[in-house]
Amino acid sequence: MSAEDLPKKEANVLKGHEGAVLAARFNGDGNYCLTGGKDRTIRLWNPHRGIHIKTYKSHGREVRDVHVTADNSKICSCGGDRQVFYWDVSTGRVIRKFRGHDSEVNAVKFNEYASVVVSAGYDRSLRAWDCRSHSTEPIQIIDTFLDSVMSVCLTKTEIIAGSVDGTVRTFDIRMGRELSDDLGQPVNCISLSNDGNCVLASCLDSTLRLMDRTTGELLQEYKGHTCKSFKMDCCLTNTDGHVVGGSEDGHVFFWDLVDASVVSSFRAHSSVVTSVSYHPKDSCMITASVDGSVRVWKA
Amino acid sequence: MEGDEEDFVFFGTPIEREEDMTSRKKKSIAEASGQLRTLAPWKQEVRDEEGRRRFHGAFSGGFSAGYFNTVGSKEGWTPQTFTSSRKKRAEIKQQDLSNFLDDDEKAELEGNSLGTSMQFDTFGFTAAEIAKKQAEKEQNERPSAIPGPAPDEIIVPATDPIGVRLMLKMGWRRGHSIKSSRTNSLYDARREARKAFLALSEDATAPALGSEHAEVEDMETAAYTDNVNQFHKSTPVYVLNPKQDMYGLGFDPFKGAPEFRENKRSHDSHLPGNRESGHKRLPPKKDGLFSFKPRNVAPGFGIGALEELDAEDEDVYASGYDFEAFVEEVEEPSRLTIEDKKKSSVKQDGILPGFKVATNSDYQLQRFDPPVVPKDFVPHHKFPATLEVNHKMTEVPPTEVPSPVDNNLKVLIEGVATLVARCGPLFEELSREKNQSNPLFDFLSGGNGHDYYTRKLWEARQKHNDKTKPLLNEKVAPPAPKMTAESRGNILGEKPLKKSAKDVKPAVPTTDAVNLQFHLSDTFTEPASFVEPTEITKPFQHDPAKQERFEQYLKEKYHGGLRTKDAGGSSKMSEAARARERLEFEAAAEATKQGKWGKDSKPSDQQILGASAGRLQFTSGGSEKPEASQAEELMKSMFPKREEFQWRPASILCKRFDLIDPYMGKPPPPPRSRSKLDSLIFMPDYIKAATEEERAISNNISSPASQLGEKEGTTTLGLEDKVEVENVERPVDLYKAIFSDDSDDEEGNSNVNQPEDPTKKIEAANTTLSRLMAGDFLESLGKELGLEVPPDQPYPENRPEPHASQRAVPEIHQEVVPQKHEGIDSDTHKDVSRIKESGSKSETTEFNHEITEKDKKVKRVESSSGDERSRKRSKRHRHRSSNSDTSDSFDDYRDRHSSRHKGRKKEHRKHSKDRKHRSHDSSSRSRRSADKEYGDSKREKRKWRLKN
Repeated sequence: MSAEDLPKKEANVLKGHEGAVLAARFNGDGNYCLTGGKDRTIRLWNPHRGIHIKTYKSHGREVRDVHVTADNSKICSCGGDRQVFYWDVSTGRVIRKFRGHDSEVNAVKFNEYASVVVSAGYDRSLRAWDCRSHSTEPIQIIDTFLDSVMSVCLTKTEIIAGSVDGTVRTFDIRMGRELSDDLGQPVNCISLSNDGNCVLASCLDSTLRLMDRTTGELLQEYKGHTCKSFKMDCCLTNTDGHVVGGSEDGHVFFWDLVDASVVSSFRAHSSVVTSVSYHPKDSCMITASVDGSVRVWKA
Repeated sequence: MEGDEEDFVFFGTPIEREEDMTSRKKKSIAEASGQLRTLAPWKQEVRDEEGRRRFHGAFSGGFSAGYFNTVGSKEGWTPQTFTSSRKKRAEIKQQDLSNFLDDDEKAELEGNSLGTSMQFDTFGFTAAEIAKKQAEKEQNERPSAIPGPAPDEIIVPATDPIGVRLMLKMGWRRGHSIKSSRTNSLYDARREARKAFLALSEDATAPALGSEHAEVEDMETAAYTDNVNQFHKSTPVYVLNPKQDMYGLGFDPFKGAPEFRENKRSHDSHLPGNRESGHKRLPPKKDGLFSFKPRNVAPGFGIGALEELDAEDEDVYASGYDFEAFVEEVEEPSRLTIEDKKKSSVKQDGILPGFKVATNSDYQLQRFDPPVVPKDFVPHHKFPATLEVNHKMTEVPPTEVPSPVDNNLKVLIEGVATLVARCGPLFEELSREKNQSNPLFDFLSGGNGHDYYTRKLWEARQKHNDKTKPLLNEKVAPPAPKMTAESRGNILGEKPLKKSAKDVKPAVPTTDAVNLQFHLSDTFTEPASFVEPTEITKPFQHDPAKQERFEQYLKEKYHGGLRTKDAGGSSKMSEAARARERLEFEAAAEATKQGKWGKDSKPSDQQILGASAGRLQFTSGGSEKPEASQAEELMKSMFPKREEFQWRPASILCKRFDLIDPYMGKPPPPPRSRSKLDSLIFMPDYIKAATEEERAISNNISSPASQLGEKEGTTTLGLEDKVEVENVERPVDLYKAIFSDDSDDEEGNSNVNQPEDPTKKIEAANTTLSRLMAGDFLESLGKELGLEVPPDQPYPENRPEPHASQRAVPEIHQEVVPQKHEGIDSDTHKDVSRIKESGSKSETTEFNHEITEKDKKVKRVESSSGDERSRKRSKRHRHRSSNSDTSDSFDDYRDRHSSRHKGRKKEHRKHSKDRKHRSHDSSSRSRRSADKEYGDSKREKRKWRLKN
């Protein structure tokens, strides 16, 4: 994909959140997106048509992360109220609330079969929650982190999480081992490449780092943006050709994956770009910002 | 006979015939037998035996009365609910006539009583009485602040008596005498006469008469007004001012604000009670200041004290108006409510609730124009002297004049000028007056050297002003004056060369003169600015020698004079180094100067830049950047750092991820500390367990002799350790002692002891155990009997048996033979397994039961080092040998065991739960009593130890 195909044109603005939007995520097929924000709501949108579909209200505090299952039937979300919510998409009801984190929950993800929700908390722990049973106890607590866990990614066999202690830890369930990759800088957000071989970590020294997962080598560093105090997302494009990241000044940056040059950057929002999510198939991107708007970008 | 009959006159009705009577009787009988039964009881007619309808209540009418000829209702006498007279005594009711009367009878009775109709209550007495009664009733109902019956004076009839009303209709007005003005006969007569007169002479002399008529009218009206006045005087005005509020007597809530009284009155006039006075209505207002509650608000529902009333809170239906009374009223309240709503919806800031903005207010905000600022006003506060200086500053400086030839005079002039500049013109005046006769001071009054004086004065003022300037010119920075040699020297304390009086040239450069003047002025001013630079600026503080050289350099630079030999640096320095240093010094001096200058007045941006650039060179932090980059490099080389640990996923997690548990079949790992408390309690056990295992290992390999020696060596060593270990170990045991059976505790111990030491050891252990039990038993017995039993305090010392070593050795082994186990590992492993194999089957099974049970009971004892990584499932084998048990050792034990006896183990696992009790029973029954006692004694012992 050439730089011209990058989504730089604003296609839609999704307005509805009051206050900062903290997370914006495409669903599995990229037809819908979910956003969560400081107004304690989760909103479901059709970003391509710019339509607000549904609002999920139950959170007592800000919603920090949200994830939807592959079959679009369930949502999990987390936020400042220390709980992980497990929603039914169609009815908009909370099916279950998982309590157990001692502090704010930063990130949640479903596993492949949507049977487990893994949440990462400020309480330095990862917790895995069982969606199938009625138990509200976590089925696994991983508390080897030394500081707040900011972001979590799941593969079929692994749980990968980035923490403020500077590590990206991979918990291989199949092998029963933990790999800790210390990046030396607080990790803000991690994102897997689409081939699953690399992990992109956004560090608080305004650097994105691309790491080979098998060897733990640092492949590339991407600089130019500012990321010093906010939890900001980063991701790779659907072709893994570019790296996308927000900046605290409202810009969105595109880097070339290989040579780490800034291919493009433009001002997307008036304030901090908190979240970036890339369409799984098309050249389309959604960005969320503290300014309360969610923007859809297309090539 | 017939004829006779015709002549008869009949009176009354003839008696019915016998036949007729009988037929009717028959009919009634038939009805009673047949039809009567079918009819509903209340439809049946009551008839007498003759079949006639019974005749009830001749005077109240009707044939049948009551319900089916009984009472007035179907229920008959209404039954009353029974109330126990024991709990609640039936109230003794005072019966009176009304209790026995029907409603209609009561109505009748009421009609009989005589009373005055309100209509004819001519003087209002009855109304007053009723009002009084009403008031009393109210008083009874709700006690008020004033006790007792209300005084009569307060209570006035609510309505006017008919007499008053009649008289009002007839034209009487309140306050007038009853004699009507209209009944004035004189007035009437006159009026009639006039009418007639007018009628007669209307056509003829209309205009003339008009005036006359007017005259007459005037006269009449005058008389009438006289009359009226008279009437007014005749009767005192009786002010009807009923007390309707709840205030105390004489209290006037509107004392200070009469306008609110008006408001209240108009508001009151809307009440139905005094309707007649209020035809003309003012728009009712909310009670304004006194209450925020609008009148038409539904009472008492869910409005907090702090909530503001909204439009929807107003109860539009419960307004206190009588809508039927007047037509105009109907629309008024509705309009008002709309207004109110509007008001509340459109929130107007700055308006009190209940008020609205006047369209034209009487109150004119008095505005005063700001005082005219004089044109020459400078918005700075200045003291007179400086102000003047400032003024002078703006003046054109006097022309530069050569100094007078006389040096004395020159000095004098300069001194005076400085003084005057500092103290103001008053000083000049003073000195002029003083020294009028002195020819030396002629310059003051325009004599010799006056020009020079004015020039000096100006200079001195300028200088003085410069000093005070920072105060004044903080904001208004003057354009940065160009740096001249003088100013620089000035700031840095350079003193000009002294001039001899002789070589005074007429064309002395003014700058020199200025400098001279400054020099002179130093005698009067504190040369603060001159002291500072050398003291403050020490850019080379880290290098004293260099700093010294720098200072030297500065001195040279600003004081002029010959350069010392080693000016440019120490003699050791090379020429190049010297030159570099000189440059550095130059820059530093510049920088310090700029900094200094910046204190006085704002330098231009360029200067700042230069200064900061200059400063940058001198900070040792200049090398920081490369350092940082170096660190970055280092970091890059260091990070990312990969570490690998063992991690055990929960089996359910694996299941949910559809993966095979990598640790399937293996015992669950000892979990990390769940809480600090847990780790605190269990921490030492782990260590102990490890050490015990080591000890066991050493036991197994080392020969009895070496073992012995070791023991001897270590017992002494381990003494101090032992104490603390036992102390920390206690909690677990304590819990166990409390929460678990002592029996299985012991059992486990004995079981554990057995397999690790083959046959001979078993015996030894058993003897130890029995001795232990015996000892403890004795001790407890002694305690019970109140005997002093010698305490077996230092456990190992008192018992040189294996038990002693068991207790004490562990720690030592950890320290003394730390590496030992590494090498031995495999051997011991085999050893142990062999032992176990050799052990009787029943024993091992039992052992396994114990393990599983323990696992359940002591849910994952904590490890001290918490992290699994540190453990990494190193192949250390732990044996549990002492009676303080840890599941850690068990775990590993079972781990190994299970690898060998997988199938068996599984089975045990499965059945362990239900078998547990049985095995317990069977194994421990025999020992139970002893165990119990042992347990007790153990506890006692522990307590005792704790005390120690």
